[in-house]
Amino acid sequence: METILQGKADAIKMAIVTLLGRGHLLIEDIPGVGKTTLASALAKSTDCTFRRIQFTSDLLPTDILGVSIFNQETRDFEFRQGPVFSNIVLADEINRTNPKTQSALLEAMSEKKVSVERHTFMLPDPFMVIATQNPMEYHGTFPLPESQLDRFMLHITIGYPALEYERKAILGKTSFVLLDDLSPVVSHQEIVRMQAEVEKVFTDDSVVAYLMKIVTGTRTHPSVRLGASTRGAQFFLSAVRAHAYYEGRDYISPDDVKALAPLVLGHRIILRTRMTVAEAELVVRDIVESLPVPV
Amino acid sequence: MPILYKVLTALLALTGCVSLAITGQINLVMSSVALALIPGYYRFFKGEPHASIRIIGLFTFTELLVFLFDSFAVSGDVFIAVAHLTIAFQALKSFDLKEPWDHLQVYFVSLLQLIIASELTSSLAFGVVFVVFMVLLVTAMVVSHFLKEGHGNQGLVRRPVYVISVLTICLTVLFFAGLPRFTYRFISKGHARGIHTTGFSGRMDFGSLGTVKLDPTVVMRVELQGPAAGPLYWRGSTLDYFDGITWKNELRTGTRLRRTADGFILGTPEKGSGTNRQPEGTVKQQTEQQIDLEPLDSDVIFGLARVLSIRTDAYAMTVDAAGTISLPGKTSRRIRYTVISDVADRAAGSADPRYLQVPAGSERISGLALRLVRNIQDEAGRAAFIEGYLRNNYEYSLTVSPPPEGTSPIEDFLFIARKGYCEHYATAMVLMLRGVGIPARVVTGFLGGDRNTYGGYLIVRQSDAHSWVEALIKGQWQRFDPTPPVAVQPAGTYNLFWDSVKMKWSRYVVGYRPEDRSDLLGQFATGLGQAGRLSVQSVRRLMSSGLPAFLLFVALSVLMAVSVLVHLKRRRRGRRKVTAAYLKVRGALVRKGIRITASTTTAEIEAQTVKFPFNPLLREFHRAYSRARFGRGADEEAVLQKARSLIRAMGSKAMSGAGK
Repeated sequence: METILQGKADAIKMAIVTLLGRGHLLIEDIPGVGKTTLASALAKSTDCTFRRIQFTSDLLPTDILGVSIFNQETRDFEFRQGPVFSNIVLADEINRTNPKTQSALLEAMSEKKVSVERHTFMLPDPFMVIATQNPMEYHGTFPLPESQLDRFMLHITIGYPALEYERKAILGKTSFVLLDDLSPVVSHQEIVRMQAEVEKVFTDDSVVAYLMKIVTGTRTHPSVRLGASTRGAQFFLSAVRAHAYYEGRDYISPDDVKALAPLVLGHRIILRTRMTVAEAELVVRDIVESLPVPV
Repeated sequence: MPILYKVLTALLALTGCVSLAITGQINLVMSSVALALIPGYYRFFKGEPHASIRIIGLFTFTELLVFLFDSFAVSGDVFIAVAHLTIAFQALKSFDLKEPWDHLQVYFVSLLQLIIASELTSSLAFGVVFVVFMVLLVTAMVVSHFLKEGHGNQGLVRRPVYVISVLTICLTVLFFAGLPRFTYRFISKGHARGIHTTGFSGRMDFGSLGTVKLDPTVVMRVELQGPAAGPLYWRGSTLDYFDGITWKNELRTGTRLRRTADGFILGTPEKGSGTNRQPEGTVKQQTEQQIDLEPLDSDVIFGLARVLSIRTDAYAMTVDAAGTISLPGKTSRRIRYTVISDVADRAAGSADPRYLQVPAGSERISGLALRLVRNIQDEAGRAAFIEGYLRNNYEYSLTVSPPPEGTSPIEDFLFIARKGYCEHYATAMVLMLRGVGIPARVVTGFLGGDRNTYGGYLIVRQSDAHSWVEALIKGQWQRFDPTPPVAVQPAGTYNLFWDSVKMKWSRYVVGYRPEDRSDLLGQFATGLGQAGRLSVQSVRRLMSSGLPAFLLFVALSVLMAVSVLVHLKRRRRGRRKVTAAYLKVRGALVRKGIRITASTTTAEIEAQTVKFPFNPLLREFHRAYSRARFGRGADEEAVLQKARSLIRAMGSKAMSGAGK
């Protein structure tokens, strides 16, 4: 993967952590730094099914979930599964579509199932949504409400690559060509197994207490209007576990917590000044720095 | 839920039931429900689902019905029935352990069982069970506390458990030794059944002593002070009326004994005149006996003849005309008393026609007696001759077949079987003496006892039960023992040693008295007193008033609470050895000028020290430290080893110099 998205090891790591922690990833950055490439690379390097949904303002919920069609032969309605029925779903530019369509996807994200006309369909396992949004385009966008932002485990930015990598990127093959060369390194059964192992990662009480302190810190910080939710704390611990597992440990350490705190909590809090997520991440960093690490 | 917690609950339930079982007072059939504990806890450990609420409810209802039935029909005693009920409850609860609350109920019921057991027994085994229970309870409480606080780590629990257990036991010992004893008892009615005896309650069915003679149960333990020559006859009760089958005591109307500061005084009050408790002139040798009497099913107490005074905490004592001393009621628990007696085998007495009564149809016995003593004139000689005759011409045997129908057992003994045991001998002699006109009576009690070299006291057992004869000769009751001496098998060393342990337990723990406290304090204070101002007297004075004891109690409670809190707090901060090593390394890094604050993590420190040559060592140490500190536990010694080598590396000039 790193060959495709050079110099962005952190972003790749966080994408894998999200996958292992059974979460969903929100990538927010300006166009053209590799958001979509990251998502498709992640899907390609596993043997997971991958669908990409380009969110436009006229997208309907049925375009995502699927639709019931009347079958003339059986004289009955039959359900045609939409693109959401795949292991990894890339929701490109999620903030361009209307809230109705957004919430259709977000419901599927939290429930891991789809309900259409009295029928409930389970989504495949593993299931992960990678959503991207562009911060710059304010016109014709519907920003995700807080409750829906909360369903994403991590919020990352990719940022411009370092100069040398950027040079390589423009001189070398385009990422589309490289993506075709990519072969799966891990099966989706193995991912499910790893996800189960992540849940067994040992959590020392003091580290959990540290995590909780950070979460409650977001609720009491003077410049925060709305702190992180309990679901946020749950996601936080899952992410920390997955991070520890990614690092090859079977226990969590304060380092995991500290490294993930801004990414997990940044998009969950609302500042009094209603500033961007980046600002919020700074506030989280501020909170983390004010708290003693358990020793 | 950690397995430790489950095991503790099971052990506590078991300890409670065991404590009741060792009392030997509970009904085996009623308590057989305890067997249900095994499948109950087996299922619990296997994590099988607890019984449905309907079944539990049904059984609870049944339990209550059985309890009512039990308290009226089976045990006839609500107290014992409650004991059975607690066992049934424990058994039922083992199928229904859902929430922490259920576990607490098990603890509580176990405690109740311990309290009930303490009422029923005061044996050494109970003491052991009690200590085990206390440690288990402390552990269970600490574990449940930690669980509640969310500490799953079992290693965390261990230290506080040790500390609190030891503290609790120390405090118990302190309170035990320090606090004054109340004569007030928690439950006033005694529920323990006494050892079954015969012959001491004014009635003895002939032949019943034979079974008692085979019973090695300890009846009393005696510490003797003063001279005691010859065989020791522990006099109990007298029997005067024999109807051919049963001996009875018709003279049981007793007079209350006078109570003085020295205890209950026997003898004539008008002569004693208060200060002088010895009847003048007659007494030269006095023997003091401290007796621990096991609970018997009679109210008679024993002592060497002739008893002068008794010290005990009973509120009243009576003595009847024949010198039988009894308590106001049956002793339901072990009692301790001190008897002072002059060792004389004769005592003044007066004739009474009932001492000449013989059962109808004993002419043949009288005839034998008259024939034997026809050449002897004085009564003492006659009695001694009959004693000798029985001693030498009859065979001692505990296996006596019952006499044929219609024959009196004494005639059977004298003329047909010619073998028997003390009961036969004594009865025969009394009837013969009465036949020749000498007033006589049977005395029951104990003879001799095993001298225990461990602890220097005497063990008197059921098998030492004996009956002998007193005859009124020249206005004095004189003792005769027609039973030939029997060689007794000495008890084994192990048994003697074990018994001495039990004796010490009952003497110094169960029977702990205020004097013992003073003694203990005295010994303690003389040890201290060499160095300091602590005088025995002042401490004793302090101890004798109630307030200091209370203050001591409060102070110790506060001390304990504070120490536990401090300990838990320290524990929570998690300053274990590896943490200390980590902080030491961090301190060394700070001295090297690396910016480290409380919120700095290991990874950040590593990032800051990339340029230093000890960085790989530091990474290694951090990995080991965080595994030991935050992981499932690891070799702490290895971490400390790494810390030492790291600090050495940081200190050496070559290493640190290269980085700058």
